[in-house]
Amino acid sequence: MTVMRDKVVKDLVKVEVEHDQEGLIPEFNVLVNQLPTEFWDEFADRILAAAPADRQAALEAELVECAHVCGYHTGYGIITSDEFKSIVMPMVTEGPKDVLRGAFAVLTAWGWAKSGIVQIVEGERMTIRATDYYESDGHKSERKLAFMIRGISTAFFELAYGNPYPDGMGKFQCEQVKGIECGDTFGEFVITRK
Amino acid sequence: MALDLKHTFDEKTFRHYLNGTHIVLHCHHYMSLTTRLAEDHDDIGGTRILAETAEDSVRPLFDEYVKSHTLAPGDARLKMATEFYSVMGMGMMEASGTATTGKVVLSRSHVDQGWQKKWGNHTKPVNHFTRGYIAAMFGSAFDKPARSYRVTETESIVMGKPSSTFVVETA
Repeated sequence: MTVMRDKVVKDLVKVEVEHDQEGLIPEFNVLVNQLPTEFWDEFADRILAAAPADRQAALEAELVECAHVCGYHTGYGIITSDEFKSIVMPMVTEGPKDVLRGAFAVLTAWGWAKSGIVQIVEGERMTIRATDYYESDGHKSERKLAFMIRGISTAFFELAYGNPYPDGMGKFQCEQVKGIECGDTFGEFVITRK
Repeated sequence: MALDLKHTFDEKTFRHYLNGTHIVLHCHHYMSLTTRLAEDHDDIGGTRILAETAEDSVRPLFDEYVKSHTLAPGDARLKMATEFYSVMGMGMMEASGTATTGKVVLSRSHVDQGWQKKWGNHTKPVNHFTRGYIAAMFGSAFDKPARSYRVTETESIVMGKPSSTFVVETA
């Protein structure tokens, strides 16, 4: 047996995400929010549009880093959560590789991207494919715009193969090589060592 | 007033919808870092862009609810938006006001408490998301177009106050 993404997704979406009496959603050791995807998409678009050419690359890197840090801490909260232990861990038979598959199933269940791992060289390289992701919405662009997926994917790989949490960041990087927003039929993301 | 909520999950695309609006789960790290990014780029309008994006992205949710539930302008619509704020996990909000002026108080705040969890207190308000959210809620409550309201955060949880206060004026 290995981790079956669609089964994990269907089990996880049954877990109700509800706010507490203070209007907050404390889950997975973080405060969760559920906002319109348009907020995250449009913010990235508008601030990039406002930035001069000589700041574009740095700003893109900062947008990726927002998701990288988020993905590292939230990802750790996810893979150590009771929900992950009860839904995903019984399917884990291939160590870190399967934990990663489970993490990407959670990524899919949370609505970040309908994604999965297509190749792993353990500790060295991973390729992710996403057939649907909100960062591609409303765009026809030559520029690849999935900053969030790039950051999250890097973080998940670091959780699997970096130094133990919380000291495992900074050894890997992600390049987006295909994008639905660029006319490709899927987004593709390659994580490698820096 | 209990909101009439419909949370759906598209089993083909694996997308989540709240009353027809496409939503996504994220965490306080992402919000805090995005807020700080906006502050770091305030010379090109970062915090204004963040607030305006919040205003534009939540407004359709309010307008759709007002239309489908035939809510009258004013308090009922403000109350609706304060409840959506909690549904989104953004905190606990009380709002009062008219078409020209208003006051909003947060007793709990995802943005402020998330920032505090990461970096502790700050020397100035950081809740640009909620400034935009409030502009949208007053716009929807009183049938005004976007950018009709100027929202100023006058007290802030992230600065050590027990609550955050926002003053609403016509722009």
